[in-house]
Parts: sequence; structure tokens; C-alpha cells
Amino acid sequence: MASTACFVIVSKNDIPIYEAEVGSAPKKEDLAYHHQFILHAALDVVQDLAWTTNAMFLRSVDRFNDLVVSVYVTAGHTRFMLLHDSRSEDGIKSFFQEVHELYIKIFLNPLYLPGSRIASSHFDTKVRALARKYLYIRGIY
Amino acid sequence: MGREVSESCVDGVVMEMVAAYCGRFYAAKPELAAGRIEAIGFQVGHQLSERYTMERPRFTDHLEAIKFICKDFWSELFKKQIDNLKTNHRGTFVLQDNHFRWLTRVSLDPAVESTDATENDSGSLGDSAAQTTSMLLYFPCGLIRGALTNLGIPCAVSADMSNLPACERLHDPLD
Repeated sequence: MASTACFVIVSKNDIPIYEAEVGSAPKKEDLAYHHQFILHAALDVVQDLAWTTNAMFLRSVDRFNDLVVSVYVTAGHTRFMLLHDSRSEDGIKSFFQEVHELYIKIFLNPLYLPGSRIASSHFDTKVRALARKYLYIRGIY
Repeated sequence: MGREVSESCVDGVVMEMVAAYCGRFYAAKPELAAGRIEAIGFQVGHQLSERYTMERPRFTDHLEAIKFICKDFWSELFKKQIDNLKTNHRGTFVLQDNHFRWLTRVSLDPAVESTDATENDSGSLGDSAAQTTSMLLYFPCGLIRGALTNLGIPCAVSADMSNLPACERLHDPLD
């Protein structure tokens, strides 16, 4: 069962600093742009929703056909956004929390300029491994 | 034991950094040195605030963020909370710490052996020691400014030490 998932980290200046297609569906160029478009369109909704609650994990904030956008906001107003087809929420929340830890490690690097792109391949490998671990039903890739 | 060792390392690093910037890098230009020290504090505060806010829910308004600084942030850094928080309800907050950790090791009495990095010049010791001590305060001001800016509150922070080892920090959001 192929699944689609696109993960984007948006800084508080509304600049995407990391994006990755973490789904197992075969990669198609136009689909990738489509995903980015949906995620960026969901930013407005996130903006309104983020000020109404003090939780970090805002569940699914937007839908598009059968794809759902889930968002996790940090205290520094960095948004982790995941576009996925319907999936269990616990897995997504744990995924976000672990990516948050990885993000803090990047952030603590004195040579990292906050708001710039995350270019570390180590980070990329780990995020993809976490996506495989939390976002897929076990045994079915 | 491990904790005491790392605290004296922090004290040593901060004092040496201030001494290096004031004495060696920008010896004739204290304002530039102060600006650099404050910028270092800004970056550190920025990163630390991201780290310390990880476990807890986000903030819904300015006052909550300031209370976080007074309680959690300060106790992570200095193992105690801010003793007194005052506001004029028009955007200015005064944070008062009656026993500021980094100043407790600084001596202003020329008769006692000075533990900071300044030379023991009896003619102007009072003045230069006071100046170096105020240089020390730029780093914590930068820390607070960095933390608050990361939480979405741009502000200016200034420090006032009228009676050691207490010191006050005045900060007003630039809206």
C-alpha cells in the first residue's frame, strides 16, 4: 500500500527551511509541487489556529481531497507540517516530537543561522528513518 | 561534584570572555565590546529558549513569556527564580534578582584580593572594577533579549546594579 507524505518545516518568517517527501509512493515531479502548494496554502489556517491554543500539536488543520495536513508548532513559532493520507494520530504526534528534538539539536549548533535552510544530510537521514518508523503501518511499506 | 565543576567553568568562561573583549579585542572602544558581548548573549539566549520551551505548552501572551523567563528560564540558568517582577502595564518590566549568581564572585573592595580578571590598580580600582562589572551584565541582558525575541517579543534590555550582588533588569518591548 503506497502512501503519500510530505514533510515541511517552516520558520517563523514563513520561509520553508526543510522539505522532504517521506511517503513510499513513487516520486512524480508534478505531485511534489502539488504537495508543496497544499502545504503552503494551509499556512494561513495554521496562523489563525496557532494563536487560539497553547498546545503544540494542532491536529489536522486542513483537508484537500483525501489528503490531510497536520501541524505541530513550537514556542519559537516554527511550524512542522505534514501532508498525509489519513493515518493514526499517535504516530504523527510522536513523529513530530522526535523531529522537534532533532530540530533543537540543529538549532543549538552555533554555526547554524536561525531561519536558514537545514542542509545537514544527517538530519535528512534521521527524519526519513523516523518517518519510516512512525508513519507507516508496520510490515506494509 | 560534577555540577560544581561545571558552574565554576561557566563563571570562568563568562569572566574571561568579558575580559578578552574589553581588554584585548576592543580595548579602546567599550561600546563595541559591549555590543559584541550582548550579541553573543543574544544568540545563546535564542538557542536556550528553544531548548527549554520544548517540554511545555506554548505561550498565549507576553506576560506568560515573561513569567517563563522569570521562573523556568532563570532556574535552569541560575538555579533560582527572579525575586521580584514589576511592570508599569505599559510594556516595561523590571526583573529584580537579589543574589545574581555571576556577580557574587566579583569583588569591588580593593583591600580584598580581587577574583575577577582586572589588574589591581589601586588608583582607579573602584571605577574600572565597576565598569568591568557592568560589562559582565551585558551578557545576561543579551540572554534575556535573545530568549524573548525567539518567543516573539522584540525588546530592549538594560541592567542596573545599584547594590551588589543584587541587580535589576529593565526591559521594554518595542511594539
